[in-house]
Amino acid sequence: MSATTGPASAATSPDAVRILGFVNHIAPSPDIEEAIERAFSWGVDVVVAQGTGSDWGPYWLGSGEQVSANQAANVEPYVRAALRHGVPFVFSFGIAGADPHLETCLQGFDAMCARNGWEPRVGVVRSEVDRDLLTAAITDGPPVVPCSADAGLSPELTVADVEEADRIVALIGPEPIMAALGHDDAQGRLDGVLTGRALDIGLFMALPMLRGLPTAVAAHAGKMLECGGLALEPGDSGRCIWASLDADGFTVRSPHEGARPTIRSLVSHTFYERAHPTLEENPGGTLDLGEATYADVAERVGDGADATDVPGVRCEGARWHEAPYTLLMEGARREGFRAVSLLGVREPELLAQARTWTDAAEQAVAAAPRFAAAIAEGRLRLTTRIFGLDAVLGALEPHTSVTGHEAGVLVDVVADTAELAKEVAYYAFIRLFIGPYPGRKTTAGNAAAPIMPVVVPVSDVYTFSIYHLLPLADPCGPFPYVVTHFPRPAETDGAAGAVPTDATHQEPARASV
Amino acid sequence: MRLYDCAEIIRSKNAGPFAVTIDLFFGDEERYRLARDSVLLTPAGVASAYGVAEDRVKGVYWDDRIRAAKVSVVRWSSSTDPFCADLFGAHLHTPLAAAELV
Repeated sequence: MSATTGPASAATSPDAVRILGFVNHIAPSPDIEEAIERAFSWGVDVVVAQGTGSDWGPYWLGSGEQVSANQAANVEPYVRAALRHGVPFVFSFGIAGADPHLETCLQGFDAMCARNGWEPRVGVVRSEVDRDLLTAAITDGPPVVPCSADAGLSPELTVADVEEADRIVALIGPEPIMAALGHDDAQGRLDGVLTGRALDIGLFMALPMLRGLPTAVAAHAGKMLECGGLALEPGDSGRCIWASLDADGFTVRSPHEGARPTIRSLVSHTFYERAHPTLEENPGGTLDLGEATYADVAERVGDGADATDVPGVRCEGARWHEAPYTLLMEGARREGFRAVSLLGVREPELLAQARTWTDAAEQAVAAAPRFAAAIAEGRLRLTTRIFGLDAVLGALEPHTSVTGHEAGVLVDVVADTAELAKEVAYYAFIRLFIGPYPGRKTTAGNAAAPIMPVVVPVSDVYTFSIYHLLPLADPCGPFPYVVTHFPRPAETDGAAGAVPTDATHQEPARASV
Repeated sequence: MRLYDCAEIIRSKNAGPFAVTIDLFFGDEERYRLARDSVLLTPAGVASAYGVAEDRVKGVYWDDRIRAAKVSVVRWSSSTDPFCADLFGAHLHTPLAAAELV
């Protein structure tokens, strides 16, 4: 781990693949133009960013709604640089990454291209899983098992699971992206690749693998770069990150003046959001960082008097253990509709008995004849969360009474219809607001209501009902790229980006190079 | 000493929708050793802090190079539960952090 200064052989080798990485669902930092310019002065072969994930929970996948992250605006400075320098970009789009989410992002991409006068030719890869393909896999193939055995999911995926799911995506691997990056026709190569839900590291692995670098190096680098500047010190996903990959490993640098890679920042990033620190199962194999090494390096960049030593960290020693090819699928199923009501409590006598007070309101709902059938049929669930007591930890909370001077009560109802959810939330609110309790002096109203209407309809509620591994013989087959010219023509009012991809402006998809 | 007072960084986050992982970083070798040698930061100790069965603890891992530990636990309430209180898993460190490092 000693610092060494030497020629930047890795960065200038003809066999090196240099990646500029960032996160496209996070707005870029204010110094982004300068950072991108610095990275390109070092050399960039591909610009890569992830824009999908399951962190936001199943709501987005189920509803088809898109997180208001404006991903097209976030990629604009990077696309400008990539087009100017003639290197491809590879982005996953849409958070949940099913067709409606991707389409929302593509419409933003249309508008961005139109605004700037850009006309890129892009390989678009959709990630929704074809239900017939999945049903056939369940019926004819080996068992489709959960990725996480403890998750309370079907131990073997059933046709009913598929039918009940509102939407199903797969985290596509590097192969469909490699196919698009390898596309070559009379007009040459594509300007970039845009995908729906994708394996984050797969986006980064695609070009290095296409150029023949070892899968282990590509995957290790992908893991380091997938969250952009979060792996630097200080960590910030609004910043970008740069690495040069070769057959033996890769060297990471910060394109930003205010950040640098350190051994600690990089190793701790390999931990991030992972259950195991050194083993990660991926499509077709397991990335093993058990013997990975990290060393500080300073590489001389530039000529003569302008030459400077750029700090970096050299990463080597990753291994890749081949395994049968499987893709992780995510499916969301509607559970009902949520309505809530919020009350603030500051009355000391009531704070002292907050839980028995909310229990009484829950019992009043449970005893109401009008709700009996819905409860018996499992169409109605109610909980009251007391912020200030145990709303965060639930049964794990050691405190048994409110210790502060005020608390908040959230009435939380999930029912099969919005009407029922709202009615139950109001019923519970009224019991809390006017229900008697021992020692009450405040007989005009028990609590403060901060929001009107007091019942807030929230949204449909979804669960991840599918989190299973789909065995796949051909990683590209179900996920062909479609060559698409941006901005796509508008169908009706002439505004760019008003309609989905127009089939007449596509070329036939090719499933493999 | 509580784990909270011993660790410099305690970051809790989902590792997929069904597991939570708590990364612990220690500021110096003395504190790292205190944690590494503790009973609390063993699968049994973690299970006890969270009041879950030991087989729900996926592992306690150490990295001597950067003085870090990782504790991974199967979530007792996840995004499959409509009433899950912490969908990002960002606040699930507290029972462990509050425990004495014995």
